[in-house]
Amino acid sequence: MKFTRSAAAIGAVVALAGAAAGCGSGSSGGAAPAAAVPAKLTVWRMGSSVPSQVTWMNGVVARFHSQFPQYKKTKVVVDWIPWGNRVTDWTNALTSGKGGPDITELGNTDTPGIASQGALANITSNVHSWSNGSGIIAGNLANDTVSGNVYAVPWFGGVRGIWYRKDQFAKAGISSPPTTWAQLITDAKALMKAYPGTYGLGAPSNYTNGIVSFIWGAGGQVAVQQGGKWVAQLTSPQSEAGIKFYADLYRTQKVSPSKYIGQTELGAPGATSGGSNEDFALGKLDMYLDGPWAQSELTAVSKKYAADWASFPIPSENGPNPAPAFSGGSDLGVWVKSKYTQADWDLVSTMDSPAQATTFANAQGFFPEFTAQLSGGAYAGNPVMAGFAKAAAYTQISPLNSKNWATADATDAIIPTMMKALMQGANFSATVSKANTQLQNVLNTGSPSS
Amino acid sequence: MVDTAQRQRRAPAARPAGHRRARVSVLVRRYRLAPYLLLLPSVAAIGLVLLWPVVQVALYSFQNYGLPQTTGAAPAQWIGLGNFRATFADPEFWLSLRITVLFALAAVTITLVTGTLVGLLLNALGRVMSVFVSTAALLAWATPPVSASVLFYWLFNPDGGLVDWALARMPHWLVGSTDWAGFNWTTTGALPAYTVATLLVVWQSFPFIAVTVLAGLKTVPAELHEAARVDGAGAWQGFWKVTYPLLKPIFLVLLLLSVIWDFNVFTQTYLLTGNLGNRDEYNLSLYLYDKAFTFPPSYGLSGALALILTIILLVVTVGYVRASVRQGALS
Repeated sequence: MKFTRSAAAIGAVVALAGAAAGCGSGSSGGAAPAAAVPAKLTVWRMGSSVPSQVTWMNGVVARFHSQFPQYKKTKVVVDWIPWGNRVTDWTNALTSGKGGPDITELGNTDTPGIASQGALANITSNVHSWSNGSGIIAGNLANDTVSGNVYAVPWFGGVRGIWYRKDQFAKAGISSPPTTWAQLITDAKALMKAYPGTYGLGAPSNYTNGIVSFIWGAGGQVAVQQGGKWVAQLTSPQSEAGIKFYADLYRTQKVSPSKYIGQTELGAPGATSGGSNEDFALGKLDMYLDGPWAQSELTAVSKKYAADWASFPIPSENGPNPAPAFSGGSDLGVWVKSKYTQADWDLVSTMDSPAQATTFANAQGFFPEFTAQLSGGAYAGNPVMAGFAKAAAYTQISPLNSKNWATADATDAIIPTMMKALMQGANFSATVSKANTQLQNVLNTGSPSS
Repeated sequence: MVDTAQRQRRAPAARPAGHRRARVSVLVRRYRLAPYLLLLPSVAAIGLVLLWPVVQVALYSFQNYGLPQTTGAAPAQWIGLGNFRATFADPEFWLSLRITVLFALAAVTITLVTGTLVGLLLNALGRVMSVFVSTAALLAWATPPVSASVLFYWLFNPDGGLVDWALARMPHWLVGSTDWAGFNWTTTGALPAYTVATLLVVWQSFPFIAVTVLAGLKTVPAELHEAARVDGAGAWQGFWKVTYPLLKPIFLVLLLLSVIWDFNVFTQTYLLTGNLGNRDEYNLSLYLYDKAFTFPPSYGLSGALALILTIILLVVTVGYVRASVRQGALS
């Protein structure tokens, strides 16, 4: 999942497509073309084609043709757009008005920015009259809503949790996963005692999407909107408690090694080996913070402990409910310049029906976006997915979907730089306060110093 | 000479054309244009690929030139010294400048000392050993920076790198009580990262110094050293009283070249510190690259920065040119 890249799209389209901003208003109305039968519908998917997804899409098209006989002759073409190219491709299609899709997949952090630039059709009435619409996880649908209008529907999602090993928990005498920070530390230390030479819980400093859960888990916020302006909240007592707890995993508790300072969860930025994921797979790290999609990488490193892998949600400070997890994933939207809005929506609703979306997500290590699927016990029997399914019920995305988040995080690395300095022993309140000022400036103006 | 050759070839040509060419030839000779005409192609090429971009960068540095301006979505605006003010107000600029200067200081000093010592060693060695040692050293110099960086990254890797493995097996009284087995040299902070970078850059650049010093040493008459020895000078005094004064122009040039090279190190630090992932480990080159090429790109800011870097290095280069001229006068 390319969350940071997804976020980059927002700003780029803002920057590039300023001229096209006015195009979106009122363009989804045209009744005559909307009801027309298209000869061809083009779907933009992100990433690269793999056989299982082609099979899945063929099934969707067959269902689309049988469920909507009027489109029997409509061809559905899937174009695969590399994640790194999609900003350019969207922008070109939007500014030139040519070569665009009818339906596009979007990273969920892309959607608010792209929608506010007028690239997506307003599908509010379709979603509201859709029988499955009310089953969608409310917070995720809200992410696709700009000024009361719905511009996309959530398709699949993923959350981070904590990976652990059942055999290690049993040997260390831990009967159930921790639900508070105090228990988390106790368990991490118990594991280190039972397995000398290992570390209890990996806390890489350059890992914003994991760190935010600790800020939220103490009741804090990264930033909130007040009167149309972003107000950074890193210096609130709750946020500071979360930041301090994460830094102390290395500083005072020593359950995370020093080598994760300056690293992401996957090792040194840009490196292809090393890092907490490898250490967990090799049995050198007892608990590892990441999403279910990590499984393919973990098994590529080592399958030795795979049978014992399991997960639990990131605990909140005082429990019993988990800390909100950053909710990433993909959405489906109807392109504003498509001539066949109704046919587009009919295909979107087929792709995103609970049955189809669930098959799709399961095959990829993601979750469908329907509350019933998550709470229905479908994942209870799968030890890896069970914990993540619990975590998926408590999510948050703001402000990681704000217009300038890509600049704040991917470019200026405000939270990673702050966390790294804290782990190196910098003065706590001065460091957090500096990051807070920078964050507020970037979210409001796109530049850290103004 | 050129003119003579042309005249001979021209002889059988038709009269009017030959007449015109003869007139051009007279002009070329009268104003001594031939050297300039010969320089013209290379000047044109350099102007196109080097001078014009420099002018362009200088123009950008006074504008708010970014992504919308490259696509024409928004016009570029002249903002005077705004980019320079923003740069000087950014604490990250001063941090990266400090890292750059300290790194250059350490790397240049160690490179020159090591290079000179190896040069003296090569001069003292017999023919076969001298060829062997200089070949071995020059291999390091010839290793591409990317390969060398990857090699050092591997050597200093906390997950099974040779250096951590060796340090962890040494007694604590020798290497301190740090947990060396998993010591992350490259991303936990600027000091360990630039320790590795210094070793890497010194390893790659001392052979050039050594070979140049060796070439200089070959020009020192043996009688001078003999005379010094007769007067009771040891190796230390012999170096400072005889070798150094004679090779001073060479040392000056090597010093200035090293400063320029080490000030501009990019490849090694980019690869060692985790691409652009650790902002507290930026040197000026990384800082500039970040401003120019990460989202959202600001060609104005990076242009201003490039200009600042150019001015700093221009001061050094002026010193270099003066030194070369003086050296030419001496020899």
